[in-house]
Amino acid sequence: MTMDERTDFFEQMLAKGVSRRGFLKGLAAAGVLAALPGGVLQAAQAAGPEPFGPTVFLGKDAYQTFRNACPRNCYDTCGIVSHVKEGVLHYVEGAPESGFTQGGLCVKGYSYPRTVYSPDRIKYPMRQVERGSGNWQRISWDDALDTISRKFLDIKETDGSMLGLGLTKYSGNFGITHYGVEGMLASLGYTTRFVGTPCWPAGIDAQNYDMGDMWCNDPEDMASSRYIIIWGANPAYCSVHSMKYIYEAQRRGAKVVVIDPVFTQTAAKADEFWEVKPGADGALALGMARHLIDSGLVDTDWVQQNSIGYGDFEAYLKREVTPEWAAEQAGLPVEAVKRVAEEFATAKPATIWIGYGMQRHVNGGQNVRAVDALVALTGNVGRPGGGARYGHLYTWGFNYHAYSQSPPEGSVGFVGETGPKGEFDPDAGSEAQTYTDRAFNINRIAQEILDASEPPVRALWIANKNVVSQDFDRAKILKAFAKVDLIVTVDLFFNQTVEQSDIVLPTVTPFEDWTVNVSYWHYWLHLNEQAIAPMFEAKSDIEIAAMLSTRMNALEPGSCTFPTDVDPKEWMAKEFNDGIHSLFGIDSWEDLRQGSRKATLASPAAWNDLGFKTPSGKYEFVSQAAAENGHPALPTHLPGRESYAPMRLLTPHHKYGLHSQFQNLDWMLDYSSEPFVYVNPVAAKAKGIVDGDWVRVFNKVGEEKVRARVTGNVPADTLLMYEAWFGAKNAYNVNRLVDDESSDMGKYKTGAPGVAIHDQFADIEKATA
Amino acid sequence: MSVRLAFLVDSALCIGCATCGMACKNQYHQEEGVVWRQIYPLSEEIYPHRDRAFYSLACNHCDNPVCLTGCPARAFEQRADGIVVHKPESCIGCRNCVRACPFGAPVYNPAARKVGKCSLCHERIDESLPPACVLGCPTGALRLVDLNTFDASTTVAAPPGFPGREDIGPSTRFKPPRQPVLVRRTA
Repeated sequence: MTMDERTDFFEQMLAKGVSRRGFLKGLAAAGVLAALPGGVLQAAQAAGPEPFGPTVFLGKDAYQTFRNACPRNCYDTCGIVSHVKEGVLHYVEGAPESGFTQGGLCVKGYSYPRTVYSPDRIKYPMRQVERGSGNWQRISWDDALDTISRKFLDIKETDGSMLGLGLTKYSGNFGITHYGVEGMLASLGYTTRFVGTPCWPAGIDAQNYDMGDMWCNDPEDMASSRYIIIWGANPAYCSVHSMKYIYEAQRRGAKVVVIDPVFTQTAAKADEFWEVKPGADGALALGMARHLIDSGLVDTDWVQQNSIGYGDFEAYLKREVTPEWAAEQAGLPVEAVKRVAEEFATAKPATIWIGYGMQRHVNGGQNVRAVDALVALTGNVGRPGGGARYGHLYTWGFNYHAYSQSPPEGSVGFVGETGPKGEFDPDAGSEAQTYTDRAFNINRIAQEILDASEPPVRALWIANKNVVSQDFDRAKILKAFAKVDLIVTVDLFFNQTVEQSDIVLPTVTPFEDWTVNVSYWHYWLHLNEQAIAPMFEAKSDIEIAAMLSTRMNALEPGSCTFPTDVDPKEWMAKEFNDGIHSLFGIDSWEDLRQGSRKATLASPAAWNDLGFKTPSGKYEFVSQAAAENGHPALPTHLPGRESYAPMRLLTPHHKYGLHSQFQNLDWMLDYSSEPFVYVNPVAAKAKGIVDGDWVRVFNKVGEEKVRARVTGNVPADTLLMYEAWFGAKNAYNVNRLVDDESSDMGKYKTGAPGVAIHDQFADIEKATA
Repeated sequence: MSVRLAFLVDSALCIGCATCGMACKNQYHQEEGVVWRQIYPLSEEIYPHRDRAFYSLACNHCDNPVCLTGCPARAFEQRADGIVVHKPESCIGCRNCVRACPFGAPVYNPAARKVGKCSLCHERIDESLPPACVLGCPTGALRLVDLNTFDASTTVAAPPGFPGREDIGPSTRFKPPRQPVLVRRTA
């Protein structure tokens, strides 16, 4: 039901004379709140957010509304309308004008009032007497910043540079002003940066080699697709608002095929599901391409006009690839491979949603190139309802004012090879300077710290990132942390990284801050207003930077260039520019107070003018840039990782969390109370495991004890554990079982290769009690 | 003509995302452990894949609500549009309704020492707003319908796994889940 239909429904009801104010008029205000203990108002008093009690809807006019945005690294990046009464956030809804979310949020977004008022929030700066001890002492902001500043100055005195200070930050909050954390580090000098992204880098490089950029169609145009292959993505868990466009395409007669190693929730909604062998996606796509050549179904006009190197690609396929070989690689029947290839090629527009899961393999980038090629040679690139959909940064053209800070005069830094500092690096491609930051691979944080010398990493600043939960090879991370003198973490909750930190600084939720948010999937822009006062002593990232600068300059004038007085609202406004204004049809950020805006697009299709950003300006089946960077020039087959344990281990995203956020809330635990390892009945039987048994999952990296959930959704040779943090009382962590093996691509556009999260293996046995 | 409000649960569209349930918590702030809308996975006898098809259920706002008839404190009232409203200010926490309801809709809240349940967001409905769960549903799987005008031909009142209880007359209507063609690995 769309918003319009919903509204119509109520118009009809009203026309029938349903009382606007029923017999219960006045009950809410007079009765319920007064009668029940622990009303939400108690939470407002900064004495402490006690677990708040029942409330009711008090009427449209009872609340002040504010515009917010969910910044948690999600396809959907929802616009939020926050309902506030007397300074208390009562409830949240989706931005009604956003066609993408149509007034709704998701299970995570609706839990936000609990995030804000959770009794588990970090309230004050605290110092841990010994890492991992849980012996925390409250300290003042002054004390915390003094300790930190003195350590930073000590580093500079010892080493003659700030390279001993490391920053690891990623996607805990993608609000644009949060790049002020990088700005803070820059304002201290040249430092060590953990660069790259654990998320999607191999696919970014692949799309850059093929098309010159990563750019996807508007997801809303999937409704007009005639054929949709969802390949290694699970929008029913990870992009719930995309599902309605897929349903609409089905309603109009489109076929939906899901290709995935497991029978996902999205697969259950498809017309056809293919249980592909993990990492064989590229081989499968190449086999489908070969079959299209044999069947005369290549769009030769498109290929001739818009690509280079197709002849070489065709020759390679004819020489090395058959559908039979591809089917065997993928573990699928060749008839199905041929049939779907034909259906896809003959149903224009046809599209493939390339999931990030597919590229989390040692051959992940090359697999994405093969799938891109399949979309291109059927002439579906640049077409509304078509496209090789992966992601985009089309709407991210902000000023990065908070990011762009300069080192103090005379700063000494790193001399040597350098590259982009991640996929969002606004300085990527700019002129080389004498000194730079020292770039370490974000996906091998433990190894990089262990190997670092001249200088070693002496202090680590962690923000917007839960390293110990989310980074790879937990045991090695703890070993690396032991080498670091001072670990400072900025966070909301006492998570597994905070447990291993020396000082923790409390930060704000989106509702207590100003920023602006866009998505890497849809094309909407959301303002994030401060809806309530910051809770306790929580500060935003840029306020923390300003306070640190104040202290640094008090101890040693000129040691930090970050402005000592920042206004988060002004700094939000400084991120806007004419490009953003014109793209979104606004005169100023203030217009966004009326609602979220969508980019004005010449066409819903990426590459609609078929002007590719590659060196040739064409789609490049043969990429010289790929060859120069040590990859095959063609999207050829690259074998997957050799197995190192009896069963494949997959650790994808669950529906109840965004990485390590949300699942820890008691509200979420009411719907998802504990983690499981999902095991096929055949495998369970062979191991003597019964549903609900405690089991041990183990490999060369480590082990995890968890209960088993027996299900045919996973193949017999595969174990599945969703990544999550279940709160401080639960030590569950899938990265005890995931090593830091790199994927093939990622360095070209994000500064470091990705990580082969899904090329992991493990064994399982019944746990002894 | 009067209206008879009811939930429509379309399992073909439902992805079990629990957004509806959390939208309810977001609006009413039930305490830990108190859940008014639950998302029930269908057993493998009904749908062959575990945890892949669901009924999202709260109060069914029945024609003959047994919570209401069994309440000694007269803490329930039924509106003309069918919504069964629980009035916490009258509730004495005896839990007769909890025992009587075959659907588990009324839930005891030990902190408040009272029962609570889905109100079908009647305060919102009276202001022409959809119930929080319906507004939240990202796929249109959970909808509000008027049984007096709704074309019920493609829906059922007592799908497998749900007690129909014609004597009580739960108002919720259902559409069954669908299954895709499966191409499993051969080796």
